[in-house]
Amino acid sequence: MELIRVNNLDYMYPINDGEKALKNVSLSIREGKLYAVIGKNGTGKTTLCNVLRGFIPHFHKGSLEGEVVVEGKDIRHWTMSELAKNIGFIFQNPFTQISGVKDTVFGEIAYGLENLGVEVPEIKKRVKQVIQLLNIEELADKNPYELSGGQKQRVAFAAVIVMDPDILVIDEPTSQLDPKGTRDIFDMIKWMKEQGKTIILVEHKLELIAEHADYLFVMNDGRIITEGNVEDVLSNPALIDYEAGLPQYARLGIELNKRSSDFGQIPIHRSQAEAEIKKWLGIHVNQGGSGS
Amino acid sequence: MSFIEIQDVSFTYPNGFVAVKNISASIEKGEKLAIIGQNGAGKTTTVKMLNGLLKPTYGTITIDGQNMKGYTTAQIAKRLGYVFQNPDDQIFQSDVFSEIAYGLKKQGMTDDDIAERVRRAAQQAGIEGYLDENPYNLPYSTRKFVTIACVLAMEVEVVILDEPTAGQDYVGMQQIAKIINHLQEKNITVITITHDMEFVVKNFDRVIVMTNKRIAADKDKREIFWDFDVIEEANIKQPYISELAHLLRVEERILSIDEFVDSLLEMKAKERVTS
Amino acid sequence: MEKGNFILNLYPSTKFMLPLFVTISIFFVPGYLYAYLMLPLCILIAFFAGKAKELVNLVVKGLLVLVLFIFIIQSVIAPGEEIFWSWGIISIKQEGVMRSLSLTSKIIAIASAFLLFFRITPVKDISQALERIGMSPKFSYAIIATFQFIPEISNRSKVIMEAQKSRGVETEGNLLTRAKAFIPVLGPLVLSSITSTEERAIALETRAFSAIGKKTSLNELTKRRIDYIIQVAMVILLTILLIGRIWLWN
Repeated sequence: MELIRVNNLDYMYPINDGEKALKNVSLSIREGKLYAVIGKNGTGKTTLCNVLRGFIPHFHKGSLEGEVVVEGKDIRHWTMSELAKNIGFIFQNPFTQISGVKDTVFGEIAYGLENLGVEVPEIKKRVKQVIQLLNIEELADKNPYELSGGQKQRVAFAAVIVMDPDILVIDEPTSQLDPKGTRDIFDMIKWMKEQGKTIILVEHKLELIAEHADYLFVMNDGRIITEGNVEDVLSNPALIDYEAGLPQYARLGIELNKRSSDFGQIPIHRSQAEAEIKKWLGIHVNQGGSGS
Repeated sequence: MSFIEIQDVSFTYPNGFVAVKNISASIEKGEKLAIIGQNGAGKTTTVKMLNGLLKPTYGTITIDGQNMKGYTTAQIAKRLGYVFQNPDDQIFQSDVFSEIAYGLKKQGMTDDDIAERVRRAAQQAGIEGYLDENPYNLPYSTRKFVTIACVLAMEVEVVILDEPTAGQDYVGMQQIAKIINHLQEKNITVITITHDMEFVVKNFDRVIVMTNKRIAADKDKREIFWDFDVIEEANIKQPYISELAHLLRVEERILSIDEFVDSLLEMKAKERVTS
Repeated sequence: MEKGNFILNLYPSTKFMLPLFVTISIFFVPGYLYAYLMLPLCILIAFFAGKAKELVNLVVKGLLVLVLFIFIIQSVIAPGEEIFWSWGIISIKQEGVMRSLSLTSKIIAIASAFLLFFRITPVKDISQALERIGMSPKFSYAIIATFQFIPEISNRSKVIMEAQKSRGVETEGNLLTRAKAFIPVLGPLVLSSITSTEERAIALETRAFSAIGKKTSLNELTKRRIDYIIQVAMVILLTILLIGRIWLWN
């Protein structure tokens, strides 16, 4: 089922240098898939997220042209708080997402449901459930301000998941986190995908995208310059020209392919690389096994 | 005696928390050094002692033979530049030019000299097109380059980069690599604290691994990333390519794609001979 | 909130009767003795609420110096006829002593009552109670968020101070040096707060901040019968004091 449909979208911020932030963007988001958006900074990735979540045009004004339909209704006709039930949004900066009015993580996670007027016993039940599912029991009684960046980001996820949105828009969630924090966040993203959520993720770490995403949009200069299944896009050497980079495994595959024409498919993640290299070397996969 | 000497240094916070225990290291001029390890391992405390933000509880730190004990951070800043992780901790001028010029003005340079230095630093940092812009109108990742330019303009002898690749895209990563190369050409010591192993393997030679407030290992990157005892003890990760090579039981200590391709082609050739 | 403590479980407006009563009554009851008695009264209430130590600490740290200062200034400098004691040009006069007793007793009474009120009433309770009587949720958000941001701001200014020292801003030394460091430290603090405000506002919207309709709250705040009894009793008591005061005037 198609959840979001964007047609010929143009957008210009109210304060601008005469240039559009989004140019003729069209895309379709279908239920249950993980879409990743990549491309260099300042090319409209975050702006696109803001449109899909309705922050544009409801919070940032400016000129929005074209069609943006979320769950059958034009984005201009949704109110921001109605959309909160349908689309969750997680930001890059863990610090600005803490509400600032709660002294425990439990209360912080409950905040959105309180605003929606959900009855207290129901709130408590749902918050407890999310805390358990996301494995953050040890944080529940802490003050949100006393958490590390990675912990804050996990709480931000929980605070959005508890509202049970169908769609999640996640904007560079790990750029300020250490490897442990990044791992925890991607475990959560994986879990949400298993729950059947539709996810739109902006992220620079291509190795992680290769592992988790289904479909990819590559942006440059306000446009979607290429899109497709993650295997096809991330193995395409042209990504370097688009200044988006390539996963290490794809680079390795491309180099091998150059030097030895009988190398098979360009791999994009580790297990694929392992399998392809073994096949090429003539090692039977079942006898190889894992080295570590 | 090396350019920077850290001799048996420990640091305990006033509340009694021990952050660094008995560390020693010598760092030469022009060296490229990465300090890695988990959060809380003592990395930040260590570099803050280098620029005097923290004074060692025990032990001494000397730069160019001088004990740093008697100097304030502001004095040390003339020789040692520190780029903080979050650019918004320091930016306060209304245009990029003034932000970069700020440190120079405090040194009493003439306007012409300042303009020249600012221009050069901005060019090295790849932000020469933004000198008239308000820094807060630029993306976060570009603001980071503004703060790097601030340090470049000071023409220091040591540059410390705290998580420089956080939030950077592919182009930004390349720009940082360019800056590091440029600094090395000028024989300037570059020290980074980072969690980004791909960044370390591409840009640095020597790696110090910290864990549990101590230095667990201090050697060449090739030694570090194939020392599985250290990797396990400090809970760090091999770079992607090394990890794959390890998984495929390649014998050489692979660090780069080129090395890996060479060794795989060799393996393939042997395979042909034997079969 | 601690469960089962009678005082802590009172409704915020009931708790507020204490500073209200103290502030009004000390102007009705003549003399300084009554006003001074308000301090032990507050400490007694604090004791039953389990906050006596905190309150005494605050009073000693915050009020003692102020009270002593007023005493010295008033008794020595203020003009007067009746001299208690003198040494050289310094003399303590009766009028000054009386004035400072009256002044300090009132300051101590009012300050300790308010300090106690804020010790036993969490800010979230105050704002929730205010919201119930019609205050806008946006306004109450601003109040609570401000209280919560204070430690955050102090942490951030420490980091900014370090960043500025690292680029050569001298922050130690004489007053002039410190004054010069003011802008480089305050600048990033204010600017980054402004830029993050927009993001915070949007982030709040992801939690349906502006949702129309009744909101619920996990914070259980109930007005019980005892709250009404205490509030009515206090109002009656104040009225009696007022009448007594007018009576005595005539």
